[in-house]
Amino acid sequence: MKIVVAGKGGVGKTTVAGTLARALARDGHRVLALDADANPMLGISLGVGPEETDALVSVRQGLDDGVTEHEPTLEGFVDRFGTDAPDGVRLVVASRIDKFDPG
Amino acid sequence: MSERGAIRVAVAGKGGAGKSTVAGTLARVLARRGHRVLALDSDTLPGLALSLGATAPTEPPLLAAAQKGEDGHWRLRKGIGPMRAIERYSVLAPDGVRLLQVGKHTDDGLKPVMGAVNAFYKVIHRLGEPAGLDRWAIVGDLPAGPRQLAYDWAPYADRLLLVVEPTWQSMLTARRIARIAGTPRQVAMSLVVNKASGQDGVARVEAFLGMPALAVVPADDAVAQAERGGAAPIDAAPGSAAVLAIERLADALQAGSLTA
Repeated sequence: MKIVVAGKGGVGKTTVAGTLARALARDGHRVLALDADANPMLGISLGVGPEETDALVSVRQGLDDGVTEHEPTLEGFVDRFGTDAPDGVRLVVASRIDKFDPG
Repeated sequence: MSERGAIRVAVAGKGGAGKSTVAGTLARVLARRGHRVLALDSDTLPGLALSLGATAPTEPPLLAAAQKGEDGHWRLRKGIGPMRAIERYSVLAPDGVRLLQVGKHTDDGLKPVMGAVNAFYKVIHRLGEPAGLDRWAIVGDLPAGPRQLAYDWAPYADRLLLVVEPTWQSMLTARRIARIAGTPRQVAMSLVVNKASGQDGVARVEAFLGMPALAVVPADDAVAQAERGGAAPIDAAPGSAAVLAIERLADALQAGSLTA
């Protein structure tokens, strides 16, 4: 199954997504948790830890650093940039905005 | 504060932290105290109009201010500067607040309102021009997270109000915003702790961000109730602890004795 969680800020998207991912993993599914928010916080709801979540490297950063040549496949990115969360969930952060970049 | 002495703030923070509640109530309070107030809603999702108690048209008025050139770039129509844009394309909210909106997502996404989005961006970048706005108070409400600050969507602000509730997600978001907003403009930052339910939480936020709270807005059922009903907190819950706290925030901003 492939599920996208959406809604207004603060309604609990991340709480639902993170808890759902953990529950599915406990039921025996292999779970990829993809954080596509430019302000990624899914790691916290998954149980990775707040400061640890804040320090995760995003795929976008990896691309900016030129890693793409070595990782042509999605699986490669999941391997390289994914983080292990509890219950075997694999967490991947798509991108994070962290600098002033107008235009 | 700006050299003019006018209040020019943008309100930022994580989704659900209470940005619109603070921005909308602050704008109304300042207007009641005699300021001419421009409220800026740069969120493409609904928010500020409800907190202000304003009725905003579905189709953004600013669409009429935009013109697409042959080069594919949007421009403001001839003769439309910041003052005229406000006169023509803002909505009148209670207490005389003028609300200028970026334009809202439609069923077909943002494409139908891209003209308004571009016009809004151009107008907010010209609010510093000496065009009759010198004495206006400006209160901008930004969408959740750091994105718009990274893309220079609050150029009018000389002070950023970081609205933070005592959760890790909210604190981390504020820290990311503070790091981005520090460049390239020198913008002062003030902390507003919202949905506070005890001194512990407030102290934790202050310690994490390394700044004292300019205002502490308590968790308040009356405000939550107002928002469930789609009413402005200042109308539906005028004497509530949260609204009183935002009045004290207005006091602090008006005092103008803030240090960056």
